[in-house]
Amino acid sequence: MVDVDDMFGDLFDDVEAVVLFSPSGSLFERLSRLEDLELIVAGTQNSVGADTFIELPIEFQDVSERVRFGLEGGLEKGILEDGDTLACATSVFGDGIDTISRVRVDGSGELGLYNLFAKSRADPDVIKSVLELAIELGKKGQKGKPVGALFVVGDAGKVMNKSRPLSYNPFEKSHVHVGDPIVNVMLKEFSRLDGAFIISDSGKLVSAYRYLEPSAEGVDIPKGLGARHMAGGAITRDTNAIAIVLSESDGMVRAFKAGEIILEVDPEAY
Amino acid sequence: MVLESFLDQPIVVALAVLALGLIVGFIVGRINEELLRAAGVSEAVEGTPFERSAQSLGTSTVKIVARLSSWFIYGIALLTAIHIAELFPAEAYWQTIVTFVPQLFVAVLVVLIGFVAADKAELATSEYLRGVKLPEVSILPRIVKYSVLYVAFLIALAQVGVYVMPLLILLTVYTLGLVIVGAFAFKDFLISSAVGIYLLLNQPYSIGDEVEIGERTGIVQEVDLFVTKIESESEEHVIPNRVVFEDGFARVRR
Repeated sequence: MVDVDDMFGDLFDDVEAVVLFSPSGSLFERLSRLEDLELIVAGTQNSVGADTFIELPIEFQDVSERVRFGLEGGLEKGILEDGDTLACATSVFGDGIDTISRVRVDGSGELGLYNLFAKSRADPDVIKSVLELAIELGKKGQKGKPVGALFVVGDAGKVMNKSRPLSYNPFEKSHVHVGDPIVNVMLKEFSRLDGAFIISDSGKLVSAYRYLEPSAEGVDIPKGLGARHMAGGAITRDTNAIAIVLSESDGMVRAFKAGEIILEVDPEAY
Repeated sequence: MVLESFLDQPIVVALAVLALGLIVGFIVGRINEELLRAAGVSEAVEGTPFERSAQSLGTSTVKIVARLSSWFIYGIALLTAIHIAELFPAEAYWQTIVTFVPQLFVAVLVVLIGFVAADKAELATSEYLRGVKLPEVSILPRIVKYSVLYVAFLIALAQVGVYVMPLLILLTVYTLGLVIVGAFAFKDFLISSAVGIYLLLNQPYSIGDEVEIGERTGIVQEVDLFVTKIESESEEHVIPNRVVFEDGFARVRR
């Protein structure tokens, strides 16, 4: 009779560290008492107070994406190194941790995803809120109908100079910041307007109704995407902003930085 | 005849007064508790450390205050009873007690209220300052708490007739010091924030405008309460709003 441990025990053979994705407090307590086991916690917030922590910007539903993002974040922060072997414990079906996978850190296939949050001009929290907003907007649409939206985040001064107003700016002389409780509803209502939303580094809504006028040369986005994506991609090449685009036709949320797509998520999956 | 002479006995009257006092005290305590609850005191004090320590002792702020009023009435009843029974013949001594007991009651009440108010003030301050993510700022709520406590103790001590003049002087010096140090340390911040409020309300320039402030020219990237950030080709200037007013600014037309 072959023991299950014999079959799968080698999953844990000489792993450098164990990465726990959003562990419960009690599980973390028990594991942290084990000697010579390096624990790394990854999640949207460090609720267990772990020493080594990797922040995830959103609660990824897709497990491989979640693990990949976690590892990339660890690489970026210098917690992990290229070639490390890790055991990643995460949850696939239920609330608790139910799955362990053995992963080798590969530094070459970088997604640039972590880059989007940690190395952009704008505040990571602002990018996170805008991304969440776009996802929510994609999930629900405006009054049940799919909507498209374009958010340009960061480097607002330059973006304003590379765009022109389509109509009166509804945010003129207002002091609305993304992350304020009322903003989600407000932006949902304003999303029927044409043009882009412009958001400053610290999250102030500078303008809506903007027509972006970047030079579009050298922007490489997949064929089949429309003018909104082209405009969003191009403005990130001309400025240090990032663009988060919700597509009206296929409902996907895409993020651009330096003229390239670096994140593509399906709102339905969240 | 026997009954009448029995009722005339001072000790019997005293006992009756005592019993009445106990009943009235109990009822007043209960009514007080209900009134305080109805007035929303238990919600107001919720979450304060005082309430929490009261909870851990199996009671609550409302109960403590209600008990206090009961005990006050018990005390008065007891004293009256003693007076009627003529256990203490000394009239002068009696006078001091009669004036002292209400004062003591008020003093204890003031200390209780002081504790709750101090905790509340601390909570409110820390809540207000939560947006400021600086470890040094966490001392401010403490200062507020102990200031309120100090004042409460002063009032209580003055109630019971302790000589509080030196303490009062100390309080004045302390407050003056706080004001002066605050004014000096935060002078620039205060001026900057005053200007910042004007800039945010009137928006003489907004994000995207090209401005010249003093020697520096650039595109406005951010305006907040304290600073204006303008960015030129190679540099990002962070300019205190105070400077914007002192030097004036020019909007560059294109």
